[in-house]
This record gives sequence, structure tokens and C-alpha cells, in this order.
Amino acid sequence: MKQPGPEKVLKQLPHDEKCWEEWERKGGWRPEGWKIVEMNDGPTLNDLKPEKFLIVHRPHGSMFHHSYGKVSQFFIGLLEGKLYGTKCSKCGLVYCPPRAHCFNPKCRLVETKWVELPKRGEVHSYTIMAIAWPSMAHLQPLVGVMVRIEGTNTCLPMTMRDIDPEKVNIGLKVNINISKQPKGDLLDVYATPAEEPVAPKRSPEELKRFREDMEKTRAWVKKTFGPK
Amino acid sequence: MGKKVGIVAGSISRFDNPRHTLQEEMCAEAVKMILDDVPDLELGDFIKKGYACCYSYFSDILEQQQCMHWIINDYLGLSGVPSYRVESGGATPIDAIVNAALWIRSGMFPVVLVVGWEKMDELPIQKVNEAIAIAGDTDWDFVSGFTYNAFYATMEARRMHVYGETEEDLAEVSVLCHNNSLENPYAQWPAQHGFSKITVEDVYKSRLISWPYRLYECAMTSEGASALLLANEETTKKLTDNPVWISGVGFGSDTMRAGDRPDNPAWKGLYPEDENIWPKHVPKPMSPYPDLQNFGALRVSARMAYKDAGIKDPRKEISFVEIFDPYAGVVLAGLEDFDFCKRGEGKNMLREGIIQRHGELPCQLSGALTAQGHAVGSTSIAQVVDSYWQLSNQIGKKWGAPGRQLNNPKKAFIHGHGGTGCQAGAVVLEV
Ligand SMILES: [Zn+2]
Repeated sequence: MKQPGPEKVLKQLPHDEKCWEEWERKGGWRPEGWKIVEMNDGPTLNDLKPEKFLIVHRPHGSMFHHSYGKVSQFFIGLLEGKLYGTKCSKCGLVYCPPRAHCFNPKCRLVETKWVELPKRGEVHSYTIMAIAWPSMAHLQPLVGVMVRIEGTNTCLPMTMRDIDPEKVNIGLKVNINISKQPKGDLLDVYATPAEEPVAPKRSPEELKRFREDMEKTRAWVKKTFGPK
Repeated sequence: MGKKVGIVAGSISRFDNPRHTLQEEMCAEAVKMILDDVPDLELGDFIKKGYACCYSYFSDILEQQQCMHWIINDYLGLSGVPSYRVESGGATPIDAIVNAALWIRSGMFPVVLVVGWEKMDELPIQKVNEAIAIAGDTDWDFVSGFTYNAFYATMEARRMHVYGETEEDLAEVSVLCHNNSLENPYAQWPAQHGFSKITVEDVYKSRLISWPYRLYECAMTSEGASALLLANEETTKKLTDNPVWISGVGFGSDTMRAGDRPDNPAWKGLYPEDENIWPKHVPKPMSPYPDLQNFGALRVSARMAYKDAGIKDPRKEISFVEIFDPYAGVVLAGLEDFDFCKRGEGKNMLREGIIQRHGELPCQLSGALTAQGHAVGSTSIAQVVDSYWQLSNQIGKKWGAPGRQLNNPKKAFIHGHGGTGCQAGAVVLEV
């Protein structure tokens, strides 16, 4: 027998431990404020009566130290500007998101091997987010695409840049880009069009509504975050 | 041991946001209604008579409380009673019912009380969305920039591309659900928006969330609780003279990530008739069913439940349906995955009025997730309770809306699922 540790740090971008420790202390469950409200309540709308409630504003939060396990190579690849997937040498399936073990039932969870992937793919499906995560709200309307990276048997969700939301469509060929300042998560990856996009068919009413929706979304962004 | 599991009573503490009332208080309201309906039921007898409880809630994060069911169990005065919690995302409440039914069928417990609830108002809405989204894969789904809305939207965009569904179809589903909820005193939509009918134009006016989905086509976030008292055949007959039976249960699963489905070798060849329904203009993936358009987990759970209930032709035998519809398009997909029509034809059932309240196969009579509400751990239990009231001819009394009682319904199908269809459950009810 052998002991597995201790761990050797090969390379690191340290985080500001002090700042987060302080934040964790701040998020210490003690109420920061409160309010007393009155509202009608009861089990059905036929049975309501006024009730008084005390609501406390109670914070908590923390920093997590997360390992990407045996698929770490994918994210190490992103830090180096490369795209990796895994391939099963038994059945030939190629995974991106990678799997360290093949999930083809015939392969009995055999270990896969790393392969470098081309930074090209095709849109399997798409959406236009008028409400994105708060950290990305300034990018609304934000195109989201499920991309089948060339040679893989999976779709990787990512956002898309440099495209008119009106034009994004299933089948569009895309380039996969890796952020110049990668942080080490999937958001480092994004798509851009690799060909002239052809818009999906929309009726005149649908197109009018679509354009109004985009306009409203952009106006909100401008109002909230100021002009670019 | 008999296979029959009876519903003795059901109850809902209404959906709204905020309710401000605590989980345990909403659960007590629901269980109290059951006690009112079943005078012979004594909570103090649970331990003596070998009864059990099965609890249903989704998130420990929404109120930063783990093991909330211990609080509920305590609050209801059920110390000592065998109980545990079932959790499987959006499938939580249907799985709790399936689980309880199997407990009874095992012969272990003559009676199981199922209680489900959720609180969703404590965190800011974007954090609520985050708490829901981390039911997706936090390394590969959640951090891609996609919200849950976005994942379901990509699934619907593909239904539009492959099957020709339209924005109008989605809006019509939304109108159907909202208008069905208007007489439902447990529903969140009328509680917040009043009692007038809405139109397709109103849906179009609601804000875009993630194209093609608009606000009125997405589930509400809700607070509420509901309960079901289930029992074996003998005890059911002792406790009620108006029983409804859970004649079939089923559950199934799919990949964690929707993006892994199109070439998933596990699906290949399982449903050849569905694999063959494929338009020429779209390249065919290795596993054409379910791809992103349909929900394999829903299919597996439904066929299991039909087989269990001895149903040969669901379209003919089922009187009405409650689909778990976090997004409008799931109603159309569900109709296909549940064998009410062929793949890609869900939209036809909508357009032909078949799933309308007065149609041949009414769907979403409660208003479902976009209108009754979606207090996750309570959602499907409430849908089963509404369906139980329909089948036992009680909807007039329970809703205070006699006009909503269907004429002599015989069987109902209710389904629930979690994630992007990662897990699903289903039950068949019959009189
Ligand atoms: Zn393999």
C-alpha cells in the first residue's frame, strides 16, 4: 500500500483568501435588517384573512474549492487555448463535454483517451436570452447555442458573439473561440459564425415581434448599463 | 398483497408568491384539510398502526435549510413515525407519490401520508433561478451562460425546426393553462392577476425570457404545500366511500445534460417507430429519439405506468391529463411522449381543440405550472389532488366551481419530471 498524498501544486493562480474570508464572516446569518408586513393569507382564495409577518434580511455565503477530477485536462486545455475531448477506443464515441469513462452501455465503463478537437462546429439548436445571468445581463440579447463540435457525438452549450440574433439558426457552421484571459470554466468558450448565417423562416408578424423584443432588450441594457 | 393503492383524501394549501407563511404552517394547513375530510384518521395512530410519511421538497438552498422534512414531521406531531424525503428536482413530488404507492404495494405500510411543499421567495429572483439551475450540471450546463429557460428554449427551437411548431402554438398552450386556472382557488395566476381570461395577444405582450419563450409560457415560482393520503385497498375502503385508485405508476430517466442526447447509444433502437419519424430537411442524429425535441424519460415513465395500469390505448382510455409543463412546449412534447399522438403531432391536438377544457382529452385543467403555480415539491401532488377531486366528483365543492366538474371521467394521467427531462414519473388514476 501507498499513501496518495500530499498534493503537489504544479501551477496556480491564487485567489484573495483574505477578501473571501471576510465575506464569509459577513455572511454570518445575523439579520442586517427587517420589516413587518401585513398580507392576506389562507389555504385557498375562498378563505383569506389578514396576517402579520416579520421578515428578516439574513445573509450567508462561501468560497468553494472545486476539483474538475479526471476531466481536468479539458479546463487545463482552455487555460492553454486548446480544445480537448475524450474518445472511447472501444466504440469510437467522442465526448465534449468529456467523460473519463465511456457511457455506451456496451463499453462497460471503459476509460477514455484525450483527443485535441478542431475549433469548429455546427449549431444543433439555439435560443436568444432576453434574461441572462446577472453577470452577463449587459450582453442581452445574448445568443445561446448548443454546438456539436466537429467529430464529437455531443453538444456543448455556449454563448455566441458577432451575430445578429435574428440570423442564428440550426445548422449554422461556427468557430469555437477560447477567451484570451481564460478563468478555467466553460464560460471561457464561445462561438462565432464561420459562414454567412441564413435566418430561420419567420412570418411578418413574428419578425416584427422579434425585432421589437430585441429593441426592448437593448433599450433596457442601455438604460441599466449606459451606452457601450 | 393487493396491487391497489387508494387515494383516501387530498389537499392543497394554495400557491402564491410570497405566501410569507412558513413551510411547516402551509403543510399543517394541507394536512388539517385531510384530517377534516377523514374523521377516522388520527395522527396519533400512525406509529401504532404502522403508517408512514413520505416528504417531498426540492431545494435545501432556497431557504438554506437542510432536512426541512424533519421540521415538517416534528411540526405535524409525527415523532417516531417512519418517514423520509424524496428529492429529484422537478420530479420530486411525482416521485414521492410513486414511492409511497410502492411502499403500500410492498405490503410494508397500510397507509402513507405524502406531503410536499416549497418556499421560493427568500432569495432575490436571480438567486432563485441559480438555485434551480444548479440542478443542472454545474461544471457543464450551468456555467455555459445558459439559464434553465435557455435550455428549454433550445429544445423548443428544435421542435419548431423539426416539427414546424410555431410561436402561436406556444401562446395558445399558455392561454389554455391560464384560462383553466381562473376558477381554481388554489392557483397563483388569479391570486395575482385577477379572474379575466387572457388571449394570445396578452401572451405576446408578456416579456421575452429566452426566445421562443415569453414570461406567460414559463412556470411561475411559487410557495405552497399539498398532501395526499394513500392506503391499501382494505384500509381505503374503511376510510372513504368515494375512493380513487392509483392503478399504475412509472418512472424513467435520461442524461444529465440535454446536449448528450442526440447520439446517446443508450436510446438507439429503443423506439424505432419514433426514430423513423424524421423530416428530410434535417440531418438525422445517431439516436433520433428523443434528441432535443422529445423527452425519453417521459416515454419510459408513461409506458411503464400504462403497462402497470393495464392500459392498451391511452388516447381512448384516459379521460384527462395533467402535464408537468415548466415551459409551454412541454405540453406538446408530452402528448407525443405519452402516446396520445405520434411524434411531431402534439401541435395538431392543440390546434384541433382536443386538449381544450371541453375537448376530447382535456389537459392542464388545474392551470398547471404556468398558472396554478410551481412550488416545486408541491407541484405534482397538487396536480394529482386536482385530478383526484375530478375523478371523485368533488371539484365543485373543493374549488367552489361546480361548472368545472367533468362529466363522469374514468381515468386520469398525471406526469412530472425534473431537469431538462433528466428524470420523470407518472401515475394513472382511476375511479
Ligand atoms: Zn465506448
